Amino acid sequence: METADLTHHISRRFNEDLERVRSRVLAMGGFVEQQIHKAISALLEGDSSLGEAVALADHQVNNMEVSIDEECSRILATRAPAAGDLRVIVAIIKTITDLERMGDEGEKIGYIASRLATMERPVDKYREIKHLGRIVTEMVHAALDAFARMDADAALQVARQDRLVDEEYEAIQRQSITFMMEDPRTISRALDVMWVVRSLERIGDHAKNICEYVIYMVYGKDVRHTALEDVEQALGQRAPIAAPQEGGAQ
Amino acid sequence: MRPGLQALGYAASRVALAALAGVLAGAILGRPWLGMALALAGYLLWHLVMLYRVEWWLQHRSVADPPEARGVWGTVISLIARLHRRKRFHKLRFVQLMRQLQQSTAALPNGVVILNEQREIVWFNRMAARLLGLRPASDLGVRIENLLREPAFGHYLHKGDYANPVVVRRSSPQDSYLSVQLVAYGDGQQLLLAADVSRQMRLEAVRRDFVANASHELRSPLTVIAGYLETLGQDPALDEDFAAPIAEMRRQAARMNSIVRDLLELSRLEETDERAGGEPLDVPALMALLRRDVLARPVHPGEVRVRNDSQAALIGKESEIHSAFANLVDNAAKYTPPEGALEMRWWSDRDGGHFSVTDTGIGIPAEHLPRLTERFYRVDPGRSRATGGSGLGLAIVKHVLQRHGAELEIQSTPGKGSTFTCHFPPERIAAEALSDTP
Repeated sequence: METADLTHHISRRFNEDLERVRSRVLAMGGFVEQQIHKAISALLEGDSSLGEAVALADHQVNNMEVSIDEECSRILATRAPAAGDLRVIVAIIKTITDLERMGDEGEKIGYIASRLATMERPVDKYREIKHLGRIVTEMVHAALDAFARMDADAALQVARQDRLVDEEYEAIQRQSITFMMEDPRTISRALDVMWVVRSLERIGDHAKNICEYVIYMVYGKDVRHTALEDVEQALGQRAPIAAPQEGGAQ
Repeated sequence: MRPGLQALGYAASRVALAALAGVLAGAILGRPWLGMALALAGYLLWHLVMLYRVEWWLQHRSVADPPEARGVWGTVISLIARLHRRKRFHKLRFVQLMRQLQQSTAALPNGVVILNEQREIVWFNRMAARLLGLRPASDLGVRIENLLREPAFGHYLHKGDYANPVVVRRSSPQDSYLSVQLVAYGDGQQLLLAADVSRQMRLEAVRRDFVANASHELRSPLTVIAGYLETLGQDPALDEDFAAPIAEMRRQAARMNSIVRDLLELSRLEETDERAGGEPLDVPALMALLRRDVLARPVHPGEVRVRNDSQAALIGKESEIHSAFANLVDNAAKYTPPEGALEMRWWSDRDGGHFSVTDTGIGIPAEHLPRLTERFYRVDPGRSRATGGSGLGLAIVKHVLQRHGAELEIQSTPGKGSTFTCHFPPERIAAEALSDTP
């Protein structure tokens, strides 16, 4: 696999540079994961200070993105990587952009959580957000795992989960509309909930993007804007579960 | 050596015998030299054949039996065979030992991961796979921090101080708390130990919640009691006999109030174990404020000095730092007689910022120092109740300092006085101000 290629590189220093920047991307990923997790807990537990803390910590994600970006430019300029190494760098530059946006979505959820904490909580205690949040955090985790392991198969599986998120998103949207029609007093809260759900759905999309970069890194194939079954065919494997009709939501 | 020498002597005598026989046989035919040459050639041939057989056996010694031979070759072959047997025995034992060792580590209730110098995974046991979500075989060679991405673990690695384990909260695959520790061994290798501490953390959370809720619930009845006592105490119609008991009750109510307040403060500090953020604080102004507080006490040390040896600002959370410093100063004031002195000092150097409170009070015997920051720990129960402390002051100080990455140092000589010093790390000192100091 590609990892083997990474380890027997001609220049040891270059190899170390590449590994270090990869580790930094994953550290940034770990931080974003924690931000998302905290933002969701803040909302579910009605903890306004936690929500605020999440929102305030987002600048750290931005700093990480900038510094990793600089590091990548430096590697590109000084080492002029080719083939697989170049793909790794390109994928990293794209991945950090998606991670940074995930961080932004986490920040939004944090803000809304601190605002909602002061309001009366609904009877179901945001059960739908809990469920969707769980799927999305697992997706992000699995996507970063696939990135760490350079595992295209796992990446493909995670990308497939995005459909589940989209379905869930639509279901919650319909439910919210029903609530708003039943009791107009809940509209303002329902709108906030919709924002959170929308952010979660976006985070799922970004996780899917990261998975696509992993596939690109490993196989050198750009699978963006491609239906998943075509991706599977292109990679020469068959779909283990019922083939989704339309994978490339973005 | 002895049997070898014997065999060699035997071999030499055989050569001589063969040569003699050759000479004799040759002499009968009138060619003694040719006879000897033939006999020696035959002898050499035998050696060559034996050499070939031994070589072949050594090549195929796992399947072939050792060749039958007498004389020097027999001795050599039996020696080799013995060596070989012994080696096989040791190897077998070693393999068994290895297998046992691996089986026992694999069965350990804790997760164990072996890492090389680059912190790449070399080996891990079943429990590690379960706790950390590692996949057998395919995760070998992956850096541990790439899979264990939690920022808390990243800080732990970055700090490089592995004396204590770090608690990492994992949100995925399941919500759990892991205690993770690195142990260096051998040639740059590291052992990562992981244990699931979710249960302990949950119990701890329940305990914290209980303390916070109980203190909160105690607050309102206490306020009512204190309120009525105050009214009663000021009532001129009150019987003279009740004046003293009511005054005592008011004192005790005030003390209970301070305990409840400190408990709440402590549980609030404990709630988040994260590092406190903060803004640059003006320490000299804070010291001046604390000095005024001390002088406002009905009984206070005769001399209260403030020494400011640094223009550096401290970066911290104001309410927390104020509470910590006030507790230290309060303690010092309480245990220092009116003729004694109290000094606050703030200075900074290469190691960071330092705030110290020195008193000429009663001092603390050395055996109490390690336990001083425990909740409700009393050096002298009778005395400290009389002074009306909550017993939580130093616990609050410790927590606040922890949240600021600082340490508390206590020096004390009984009868002479004590010095409490807070050591703040350099990153807690405002950068532009630090450059002014040498």
